[in-house]
Amino acid sequence: MNVEAPGIGGVAPAGSEFPVVVLAAAVLAAEQVSGVLVGSAALWLRGEPVSVGDVDVVIEPGEANLRRLHDALAGLAVRPAAVPAVHRLRDVSVATIFSSYGRVDCMLERGRCDWESLRQNAGYVAVADVRVLVASAADAWELRARFRKW
Amino acid sequence: MGQRSGVGLVELAILEALDERRARPGGRPVSCEKLLAALEGELGLARGYAYQVVIDLAQEWKLPVPLVEGRGNFGGRGNDAPASPRYTEARLSPVGQVVLAAERGEIAPVPVGMINGNTHREGIRPPFRPAAVIDAVRQVLRRPRLPGSQISGIVGPPDFITGCTVTGDLAALAAGQHAELGLHARVTVTSAAHVRDRVTKAAIPGNQPPGFTRDPSRPVIVIDKFPPYSNPDEILLSIADRAQGHDWHSRHPELGALTRLPIKDVADLTTARGGYWFACLPADGTPPQVLRDQLLKVHGVSIYLTTRLPQPLPVMIRTWTRSNHDEDLPGSLTALENALASRRQTRLAECY
Repeated sequence: MNVEAPGIGGVAPAGSEFPVVVLAAAVLAAEQVSGVLVGSAALWLRGEPVSVGDVDVVIEPGEANLRRLHDALAGLAVRPAAVPAVHRLRDVSVATIFSSYGRVDCMLERGRCDWESLRQNAGYVAVADVRVLVASAADAWELRARFRKW
Repeated sequence: MGQRSGVGLVELAILEALDERRARPGGRPVSCEKLLAALEGELGLARGYAYQVVIDLAQEWKLPVPLVEGRGNFGGRGNDAPASPRYTEARLSPVGQVVLAAERGEIAPVPVGMINGNTHREGIRPPFRPAAVIDAVRQVLRRPRLPGSQISGIVGPPDFITGCTVTGDLAALAAGQHAELGLHARVTVTSAAHVRDRVTKAAIPGNQPPGFTRDPSRPVIVIDKFPPYSNPDEILLSIADRAQGHDWHSRHPELGALTRLPIKDVADLTTARGGYWFACLPADGTPPQVLRDQLLKVHGVSIYLTTRLPQPLPVMIRTWTRSNHDEDLPGSLTALENALASRRQTRLAECY
């Protein structure tokens, strides 16, 4: 989700007709929240034939990033009061908010455990004029297989 | 679930508890606090959980066939939360009474579970139009070999009560496969004169036509008939927020253009009788159709549900009919129809 290009992964501009909820990931990136997009949105941006129901973002651990995340979620959420405080974001496993683009799941525990490995395989994909850090298809499928209900 | 109605076991326990307290159609409702205390004492159902189920069973925009009639503030579709159970009362609806009669074997089974589905509780079975399901069962009783395509045709698409539009692979749903259904509010391009007329007709004291209706030919976008599980109050906030500028718009103008709604003014013209409806005035130079398409993409104006029936729809209807054909199904279907009529189940599409 970092906006600046880090030099790993390629930029693969996606088509202009994004599933609306993908725009939530782009807004987080525009707000300079550091994270890796996983789940169905990541797979869709990687060209996989999946339907996108929500956005799942693995968040990079770190105090400054959690503060940016909190502020960005407060701006995105339909109910800003429901956004966990920064000290709660340090502990919770997943923070979920509903935005006008759809549901956003911020996977904080996954970030604390797997950030480096996910980051290593991820690459940037353009969503409008924002470069969104997206997990590799293999990582996204692997996470999906681990957590998906059916 | 109840074998003879398809209604969930917790729901049935609530209906039984209401019946034991003589809270029947036309009779005196029972205090929800007393009802919840009894359910906790007898079955160990936690009060908060049981109250949520009671509320769901009474909310008319969620279920095609509500099983409970609530009195007092049972909550609204927006941010209006239900009152404490101290201040609400409940009794069986006529259909709730028919469901209990079917479960006790006093009449033949009724397909209420099939009609109501369970998407109102985040399940995957969608609701269907009551009269259509009843008609399909009757047709299968008459012609057991009725082709599956005809049965699906009689039942028709899922019916989400509020008049919202349903899109998606309905054929896959009828075939018993996973189907992603889109539920969309009605978003119409109309004129300011129409908005003014509608407000005038509603004639709610204090609800004045918005300022922009002074120019009657001005194009206006009206949003109404919201999907049942979305919160219109939150949608209004979302729309207003998306019309604002953000710091990052200057750094990412392309994303800004995709996300910012070109709205000059938005008015909440909701009335108690007319249900939720909002009017949006496009920003100068914005073609109204462009704004209409963007509004349709706002979460809540459109929502998406993953749905699946336990079997293909014709198989469901046929199996249910066949397994109960030795009982007086025509009689129980008539009882269900009478119960629906006695509730004066006017289509809520007009209201929501």
